[in-house]
Amino acid sequence: MGELANLFVKAAFIENLALAYFLGMCSFLAVSKSVKTAFGLGLAVIFVQAITIPVNWAINTYLLSESGLIGIDLTFLRFILFISFIAAMVQLVEMIVEKYSPSLYSALGIFLPLITVNCAILGGSLFMVSKEYDFAESLVFGIGGGFGWFLAIVAIAAIRERMKYSVVPPALRGLGMAFILTGMMGMAFMGLMGIDFTAFGK
Amino acid sequence: MHSNGYIFRFVLIMTTIVAVVLALMSTGLKGIHDKNEAVYNKRAILASVSSQLGTDLAKLSDDDVQKIFNEQIEQKVIDVKGNEISKEQVIAAGYKGGMAEHIDMSKERKKPETDRLFPMYVFKKADGKKLYIVSVRGNGLWDEIWGNVALDEDLNTIAGVSFDHKAETPGLGAEIKDNAAFPAAFVGKKLYDETGAYKSVDVVKGGVSMPNHQVDAISGATITTVGVGEMMIRGIKYYEPSFSNIKK
Amino acid sequence: MAETNVAEVKQPAISFGKEEKKLLTDPIDSNNPITVQVLGICSALAVTTLLSKAIVMGIAVTFVTAFSNLFTSMLRNAIPKQVRMIVQLVIIAFLVTVVELTLKAVNYSIYKELSVFIGLIITNCIVMGRLEAFAMGNSPWKSFLDGIGNGLGYAIILVLVAFIRELFGKGTLLNFKIIGNTPEYVINTTDSMLFGWYANNNLMVLFPSAMFVIGIIIWAHRAWNTKLVDVS
Repeated sequence: MGELANLFVKAAFIENLALAYFLGMCSFLAVSKSVKTAFGLGLAVIFVQAITIPVNWAINTYLLSESGLIGIDLTFLRFILFISFIAAMVQLVEMIVEKYSPSLYSALGIFLPLITVNCAILGGSLFMVSKEYDFAESLVFGIGGGFGWFLAIVAIAAIRERMKYSVVPPALRGLGMAFILTGMMGMAFMGLMGIDFTAFGK
Repeated sequence: MHSNGYIFRFVLIMTTIVAVVLALMSTGLKGIHDKNEAVYNKRAILASVSSQLGTDLAKLSDDDVQKIFNEQIEQKVIDVKGNEISKEQVIAAGYKGGMAEHIDMSKERKKPETDRLFPMYVFKKADGKKLYIVSVRGNGLWDEIWGNVALDEDLNTIAGVSFDHKAETPGLGAEIKDNAAFPAAFVGKKLYDETGAYKSVDVVKGGVSMPNHQVDAISGATITTVGVGEMMIRGIKYYEPSFSNIKK
Repeated sequence: MAETNVAEVKQPAISFGKEEKKLLTDPIDSNNPITVQVLGICSALAVTTLLSKAIVMGIAVTFVTAFSNLFTSMLRNAIPKQVRMIVQLVIIAFLVTVVELTLKAVNYSIYKELSVFIGLIITNCIVMGRLEAFAMGNSPWKSFLDGIGNGLGYAIILVLVAFIRELFGKGTLLNFKIIGNTPEYVINTTDSMLFGWYANNNLMVLFPSAMFVIGIIIWAHRAWNTKLVDVS
């Protein structure tokens, strides 16, 4: 249990997909102009991440590997299967949100389908493969990773909303400043390296 | 606009083409892929004795690497008691190639200690002397780290080491591999002290007190380099029974 | 990028006139995918630690963008609307798998260094972005050129960032030792009178530095091309 809690903290803060690995930057920079939209997108990312990573784990373990159900090494199909499932998942989420919460659906607008091509989602699945997590670890990694991305985008949206009142050189205004801010946030998150909850009680 | 039947046929044809092309490419290139991976692993092992090779390891072609391995390196697989395991037993343990270079140390780590297999490479230098290369594996800050340690014929003095990692931070933990000064610091250190007690080589911060058995940590990469020390002490200890067998 | 439907002039299928040239040059300056369109940033960060990785990545992305543009444009009238996104993704994923298998055979060590980021070309917003914005509504040859142009625009920024990061972070370029503190380097800081003070900037090796470098490149780009300044 402690290992999983440690993994959650690692995925959310220390190995933050947005601020340590800079994944999902496209929507991160494009959507973070206001906190409200950032909040909605972040929540959607948590949801999609929490479901796609464990299911992709199952696809990888039971379908693609030599010791799976099909019995031959199909790892060359990994990219296609992962992204197809992510696309299908996002489509499903879209339909559910539209049915059960039309207001949320219209608030999110185009950002919902854009989650499919968010590098953080596919990146999360690929990291899961390279770190060889099992099912429980994949689930925790999915929730934690999504949560970390959510925190990052809300934080930078809050900062950018305030940047409107600052004096920034014209050529640096907007996008250039956002890059520099993200870099600084990344450096700040590096300070969290080395935190290990299992170290307590040793 | 398009009927359901059309959509179905379109998707079916597309998936078939994609799957067939990729399957052909994958099987066609498998030979090259496996060879590349094998040479890559061989290079990693030779990195621990790179100073003894005569030329820069990076300048050696893949064929040269294979040649050195075939002519100058004898591969052995040891169990935890120090006994040599035959090729058939290695294959039976799940490694199709049956040789030391095929052993997956990360898989072995997950087994109970009594079941583990350890690779050993005996490198015959140009002057006839032998170097014994052993493999160790441990934990860095983010993920696993591993290394190869080359020992002189006395099975006590370190002739060279090479380290690698999965996910350490470039500029910090990754310096165990990228900064040549770190592995170089291990050369000449000894595993056993004057009384014959096993000490191996530890990595410490703030200054070395036992010059033969300690190396300075990399500043800013404490956890990774401490992991290296732990790996050196625990990992080489597994080979002690085999050392006694060789010395006999 | 607007289609003019004024006169139905019969265009030759493959030509290389002013319009085609613009498809190649626009993305390098006024419509640069990274600095203007804000696309393709994710993989731009981890792969710019070494110049060799940036060059390989630039070539890979140009290949994938150009050919996925080409295939999508050739199929654009045949793709059923309901499965449009999945079809596009499968085309992209297929091409990326081809790149990965090829790289694994041709240069195993760079394949190992790039690892996860080859796969992330699939979600590289540039590829998908160009498919939607251009290939779905233009001829195959033009789409192919547009793909090459955008790939090159991306590659140029990547190479520029990697150049700065590798030179100032490690003192090497493509593993040629340029400036450092041992005699193997071209400029040996322990002996040199001019550069004795120089030490490698370790921040350049860490990920956030890529953000700073790109931010400054954007600043310089917009200061030079004032049409791009953000007036919102």
